[in-house]
Amino acid sequence: MPKSKISAWHLLLMLLSLMLLLPVVFMISNSFKTLQDSYHSMLQIMPSRITLVNYQTLAKQVHLLTIIWNTFFMATLVTLGKIITGLLSAYAFKYFSFTGKKWLYLIFVSTIFVPFTVVMIPNYLVISKINLLNTAFGVALPQLADATGIMLFLSAMDKIPVSLTETLQVDRIPAHKALRDVIMPIIRPSIISIGAIFFINSWNEYVWPTLILKDKNSFTLPLALQNYISNEGGTNFPLAMALSTITIMVPLLIYLVFQRYILNSISSSGLK
Amino acid sequence: MSARQAIQLNNVTKKFKKTTVIDEMNLQINEGEFLVLLGPSGCGKSTMLRLIAGLEKANSGEILINGQDIKQDSYFANNFAMVFQDYALYPNMTVYQNLEYALKVHKVPKRERQTRLNKVLNMLNLTAYQDRLPGQLSGGQKQRVALGRGMVKKSNIFLLDEPLSNIDVQLREKARDEIKSMHDTSHQTIVYVTHDQLEAMSLGDRIAIMNNGVIQMIDTPNNIYNNPINLFVAEFVGVPQINTLTGEIIDGQVYFAGYSLIADYSRLNKLGLISGNIYIGIRPENIHVSEQPQNAASIPVIVDKIVDYGRYQELMLIIANGQLIKATTTNNQFVIEDNVYATLVDKKILLFNQQTKQNIEYSLEN
Amino acid sequence: MHNNDHKRKLLVTVYLLPTVAILFIFMVIPIIYTFYLSFFDWNLIAPTKKFVGLENYITIFTDSVNRKVLLNTVFYIVLLLALNFILPYFIAIVVQFFIGKMKGPYKVIFFIPSIFSLVVGAMLFSWIMNPVSGPLAIVMKMVGFSLPNWTNSGGMAIVIICLITNWKVFGYNFVLLLTGLGAIPKNLIDATKIDRIPKWRVIWNIVLPLNKSIALYVLILTIVQGLQFVFTPISVITQGGPYYGSSNILYHTYLNAFVLYKTGNASALAMLTFIIFLVLLYAEMKFVEGKSNNYA
Repeated sequence: MPKSKISAWHLLLMLLSLMLLLPVVFMISNSFKTLQDSYHSMLQIMPSRITLVNYQTLAKQVHLLTIIWNTFFMATLVTLGKIITGLLSAYAFKYFSFTGKKWLYLIFVSTIFVPFTVVMIPNYLVISKINLLNTAFGVALPQLADATGIMLFLSAMDKIPVSLTETLQVDRIPAHKALRDVIMPIIRPSIISIGAIFFINSWNEYVWPTLILKDKNSFTLPLALQNYISNEGGTNFPLAMALSTITIMVPLLIYLVFQRYILNSISSSGLK
Repeated sequence: MSARQAIQLNNVTKKFKKTTVIDEMNLQINEGEFLVLLGPSGCGKSTMLRLIAGLEKANSGEILINGQDIKQDSYFANNFAMVFQDYALYPNMTVYQNLEYALKVHKVPKRERQTRLNKVLNMLNLTAYQDRLPGQLSGGQKQRVALGRGMVKKSNIFLLDEPLSNIDVQLREKARDEIKSMHDTSHQTIVYVTHDQLEAMSLGDRIAIMNNGVIQMIDTPNNIYNNPINLFVAEFVGVPQINTLTGEIIDGQVYFAGYSLIADYSRLNKLGLISGNIYIGIRPENIHVSEQPQNAASIPVIVDKIVDYGRYQELMLIIANGQLIKATTTNNQFVIEDNVYATLVDKKILLFNQQTKQNIEYSLEN
Repeated sequence: MHNNDHKRKLLVTVYLLPTVAILFIFMVIPIIYTFYLSFFDWNLIAPTKKFVGLENYITIFTDSVNRKVLLNTVFYIVLLLALNFILPYFIAIVVQFFIGKMKGPYKVIFFIPSIFSLVVGAMLFSWIMNPVSGPLAIVMKMVGFSLPNWTNSGGMAIVIICLITNWKVFGYNFVLLLTGLGAIPKNLIDATKIDRIPKWRVIWNIVLPLNKSIALYVLILTIVQGLQFVFTPISVITQGGPYYGSSNILYHTYLNAFVLYKTGNASALAMLTFIIFLVLLYAEMKFVEGKSNNYA
């Protein structure tokens, strides 16, 4: 293929990269500008004067630390729950045979296709009935297990050679020890990346938390951001951008650290 | 050889879906015996090993280990070692931890573990590598660790599934010797699956040749090679492959291409064969090629092709009737298109029934 | 195995119990209960529910607002397929087969937006696309155009909302599709090069058919997840407006349930969505053979 053609493709791909990333870059840079600066030079990537005024204002107006803690706590609960339930179920599916296995797996997979609207009314009623409205537990409880996790863990376990688990069998290693001593250490990179994916998704979650968290002190970051936008009517953009920047920081950091593992896990989820 | 049977299969049948992989198998393996299962891929040899190990359940029949059915609880008192083609070492554990793990789980006291491990590490020349992870070992070293895992368990039955096929050719012989010397010193019962006949011949006390889920023949390497039970065994064993020719019996003599091949008439008379077609099996090294006829049965042939293996030459010879036969020779004196004579060593000629493909002269007394 | 059969059974139960319990309580029972609710007229709070039979379902197809929402949903699906399936597929083919290097970096970069909250995306794009003061409007003004006030038009709002989800989902779908393309044996592609088969024919005749199963998976994911993803920007930016113009079946369900307190209508809409998704699930299992049977 001629070089010029390849360069043309690269040009297109770089343009695309720019389109995907530039909004975020503008967002971060504008969060360090004053309202006036942002209005006059919103497309200037490096702010002429870096100011933390937006972050200071935010800290005064909303309970920033509480909200960050709420988000972190809820995401941790969900992540731990999904890792534990997902690992155990995947292990059962992979290494045990039992009656009804085929059906159970089919039901598990089908749950991925259940729209949240079908379960939101009863689940809301249950959570309110057991007095968990406005708590992280209320948000987390219905999400402590999901089929995506099971499928991701299964595809990680698929890569373990059969001979290895058969050796465990011939050596008569009890199942729980085999899981703890051999299976889990081998798929540790997958556990970390799947955990990272769970955490990021939960951190960003919006729909279900809006139903459960009504009290401002129980808000998570996306909710606080939405609340801020709708209250401010979208006038003070630098402030909204400061809050957005705080919202994206944790997922961004996790992604930068575990990027290779995360992409591998996402890739393997489709290849089956 | 002790008469006690370590492993016994009685009418064992294994099916996957509708395909029968093991068909009504009967087999006895003596204690301390080194038995090699040899056969083409897909013949069921690995499945048989897995049945013995309890990794697969037979559809019917029984498998006895030291006289006891593996379905019963006592099976778990048995102590198998299994070595897989890929060694199946725990990748997250060092060599030492790999050897120690099963002992630790089964609560062997620490002192005892150390003694056993040091002994085995020493024996297998692995002491220097005991802190390495499997990923840092060569194929041969991994195989030794896999063997060692069974040795520290003091397993009395070793099941080996193509353990050498992932080792470089140059190192394979050494690895083979290690298995042999382990058996020579500790006399475990070994069932060894391979598709490599050289490996089988050099290791096995007995070799079981399998095809289509059935053991064709089970005997010493010598008998397998020189007195095969049927044409399959004759053709499967031996490189270059045995020549299979169509001969005719006329008046109690075996004729091929117009020559009477077997001078000893009593051989056929004993079998009562007077007429009919027959398969003649003759191994390439039992065909002597010479420039002059050696006797009345020497067949004139033309050298069609020569493959030089260094150690010997393989000659493709064309007979007047157009048939090809293969012969090996060590004197590098022939050239293509030479007119020469092929003499079949008549004592080495094997005769097979054309319908049943059985060796007509086969008898267990041999 | 043999002797400890019941011990293993016990273990399996222990391993599966947490997942089964959660999914049963918060997934299976709710589906049944929603189905039950769809035959009643209720306001989520009142102590009594009034049985109305199929009325809630009939309303879906007779009520003009519902019909509009259904039509919007179809529009959403078409747009989502174009933006979140065809576009990433095209780019994945370009990256896999038309450029030599840089596959890794593009993958890493394209994926970045998918780790961000859609609320952030909604906020960002409503700023960028702000018809008066947004950067895009300013740039367009410089070259003499003006940005229409898209919040006043349902159709345009839908396009913008789909663009926002595209920003988030593009990289994710791209990675999945690229993995599928990368799994096509390289020898096969090399063989076509030796045979001098034009690239577009290789793509059309070999690559696309071989990548069919993963493509279908992404296609269905695009619809099922996409319709749920657009919920967030709808909720943050338009709240379904103007006059239900940018609403879709999921947002309308939410609106009925938690804003209008028409629980029965919401339940019927939810069940309809569920049925549509189940049809898609069936299609996936039918065409992507073996995918779900790995552990059966």
